[in-house]
Amino acid sequence: MVGVLIRMKLRVLSHSLGGSRAASFAFGALVGLAFGGISLSLVMLGYQHDASIGTTVASVFMLLWTIGWLIGPIIMGGGDETLRPENFALLPLSPNKLAFGLLGASLAGVPPVATVLAFLGLVVGALFLGVLPTIVAVITVVLALAFTVLLSRVVVGALGAVLGSRRGKDLGVLLAALAGLSYLPLRYAGEALAPVILQNNPVLGGTLRWLPTGWAPAAVEGAATGNWLAVIGAVLALVAVDGLLLVAYARLLVLRLTTPQTNVGPSRAGRVKVSRRSLLPATPIGAVIGKELRLWWRDARRRATMLTSVLIGLFIPVFSSAGGRGALVMLPFAGLWVVGFSMLQVSNLYGFDGTAVWHTLVTPGAARADVRGRQWAWGLIVGPIAIIAGLVLPGVAGSWWAYPWVLGVLPALLGCGAGFLLLLSVYWAFPMPIQRGSNPFNQGNRPGCSRALVRLVSMLLLLVGALPSLILLIVGQVTANPVLSWLAVPVGLLVGGFAAWWLGRLAEQRLLSRGPELLAQVKAAG
Amino acid sequence: MDTGGLPVYGQQQGAVPAEQAPALQITGLRKQFNTTVAVDDVHLVVPRGSFFGLVGPNGAGKTTSLSMAVGLLRPDAGSVRIFGVDVWESPERAKSLVGVLPDGMALPERLTGRELLTYTGLLRGLDPATVAERANELLGVLELLDAERTLVIDYSAGMRKKIGLATALLHAPKLLVLDEPFEAVDPVSASTIRTILQRFVASGGAVVLSSHVMELVEKLCDHVAVITRGRVVASGPVEQVRGGQSLEQAFVHLVGGRTGGGEGLSWLAS
Repeated sequence: MVGVLIRMKLRVLSHSLGGSRAASFAFGALVGLAFGGISLSLVMLGYQHDASIGTTVASVFMLLWTIGWLIGPIIMGGGDETLRPENFALLPLSPNKLAFGLLGASLAGVPPVATVLAFLGLVVGALFLGVLPTIVAVITVVLALAFTVLLSRVVVGALGAVLGSRRGKDLGVLLAALAGLSYLPLRYAGEALAPVILQNNPVLGGTLRWLPTGWAPAAVEGAATGNWLAVIGAVLALVAVDGLLLVAYARLLVLRLTTPQTNVGPSRAGRVKVSRRSLLPATPIGAVIGKELRLWWRDARRRATMLTSVLIGLFIPVFSSAGGRGALVMLPFAGLWVVGFSMLQVSNLYGFDGTAVWHTLVTPGAARADVRGRQWAWGLIVGPIAIIAGLVLPGVAGSWWAYPWVLGVLPALLGCGAGFLLLLSVYWAFPMPIQRGSNPFNQGNRPGCSRALVRLVSMLLLLVGALPSLILLIVGQVTANPVLSWLAVPVGLLVGGFAAWWLGRLAEQRLLSRGPELLAQVKAAG
Repeated sequence: MDTGGLPVYGQQQGAVPAEQAPALQITGLRKQFNTTVAVDDVHLVVPRGSFFGLVGPNGAGKTTSLSMAVGLLRPDAGSVRIFGVDVWESPERAKSLVGVLPDGMALPERLTGRELLTYTGLLRGLDPATVAERANELLGVLELLDAERTLVIDYSAGMRKKIGLATALLHAPKLLVLDEPFEAVDPVSASTIRTILQRFVASGGAVVLSSHVMELVEKLCDHVAVITRGRVVASGPVEQVRGGQSLEQAFVHLVGGRTGGGEGLSWLAS
């Protein structure tokens, strides 16, 4: 049964890897395996140094990889769904059997292999300690791996169950945003902790060993020091926790397979919308703006993407400032980051809507209204946030000098952003899975290498758009001429306005001439 | 229509059910979504060897009832027995007795039809030789052999129905539960599927299918139930339910509808 599922998954994976996908898959695999290899060698180095440090380092890495297994699926979209439990709902399989089978199948793939590689550091390290510790290491690594994968499955599954409701979806959006942001504090925590680990702090080492992720290294250490009570205790505890997680996973599977995934009840369309509509002009563009603003709010996936990008844009400068390096230099510019990230993350507007683009294609003259309306709607959401951030944060940071810089560059970025947003959406669209009641942060299809690269390049092009303002600002700074510096603001407005108009026109022409191709491009796979 | 040699139907595997129990017995089934009662106290008995049609307007609760009947949606109340085996108490035994074609089902998209059948059969515990033989026959009969290299993701709607039907037939169940099996299926394939189902019933199997198409139900089925607003308003042999009129007339009368479309819209094509 496990064997059949593994073969099935490998077959599905091999069918999914046609052409260009194979390249990005190989790249991802290389990166993953490199990380696994680095972890392995660091753990090995730790053990070479001394058994106690090795145990601590191994515990740290197992903890980090487990955190990765928890955060990864939340950011990347609901975890590995190559084999969906729904596909087996009609088979006469007991929940426990299905859970065990899916667990086995989830070990086939690149992330698990990279994790195995990382965890093998414990086995290699144990070789320094003797035969018995090595045997213990082999047993406990298997159990620890099961723990990590099962914990990830259970947490993601539980989140998915919570996210079934509308309120839960909002919670999920916030969680996804927080998970995405947690990388930053983790990085600083890592920088702060590295020296402590090497000093072999007993409190920290003890804590790490008491966490479930530290039980495997603790068992190996016990075997090396002859503390067989610790070995037996750790192994039994791991077995027990794995068993509990498996049962929990089976329960979640039953829940998932026997409750409706779709949100059946009538969706509430609030009263607020009527008043919003009256603010917009009763023209085609006004209609598109109204539709877009509603979708940014009602479509959980759009809301998730927008919210994360804005939060990341705000938090990166804040955390960098808190980190000490370049203190308070970044903070005033948070507004600019918001624009950049938002442009980057939501630049697949037609992908979000999927085949709904046919509406635009069959309506004469709708292409122009659609492009302009989408630009305006994005600007109406991101603009105020960025402008408020740009007006408030330099003052908060006490960097009064930053005002002309922020206010000169911001309009240029906003305009270019609104332009590139549509250009990217039309030229380099990619399909997203149909999201009927599924995980709102399920992005499923990744953009693929070329599309991701184009988006990164467009970030650089944003800077090109800001160049006229920047030149004025630099000259103004050098010559200490505030008039020149402040001249950057109207120049930025002009450049931004022109870029939004011109790039939008390019997008519009493309939409007109290659509409059917765009429709084919965004057609979600299944 | 040559339907070739099919897997032997009417031989269930696993549990031996009670001798006289009906193929499907639904008692007091109920399901509520938020404030909407989708299925309200539904009772149905599908006799062994019958061809049973479930008809009703859109949103009447057909799919919800069938989903609960085959263990895909947990009912709020009521019970379902397949050959006497309670679906919600011993789901594994019940699922081995029934073949299901859900509407809008999830299939593993990136497999070919043959791979899908092979893995499904192995997961159902059939031996590999049997699986290979049955898969080949089913693909042949359902005319899917030409699409040998096509992934399910690239199947047309009709092909998806056919491969779904193949997975439902693969383990030779005694009861088939099919949700809208003829929707989006071309006439030739529809005729093939009809012949297969008629042979299945002739050899002692029972079929439950839901449909909007009255003529089809009238022609194929010997029993029919009309469901509307989550309740069964008529059930029994087709002759009895339609009572001298056509099934369509009886249906419109039963669901209390009137055929609209005659009023308003004066601006259209004026």
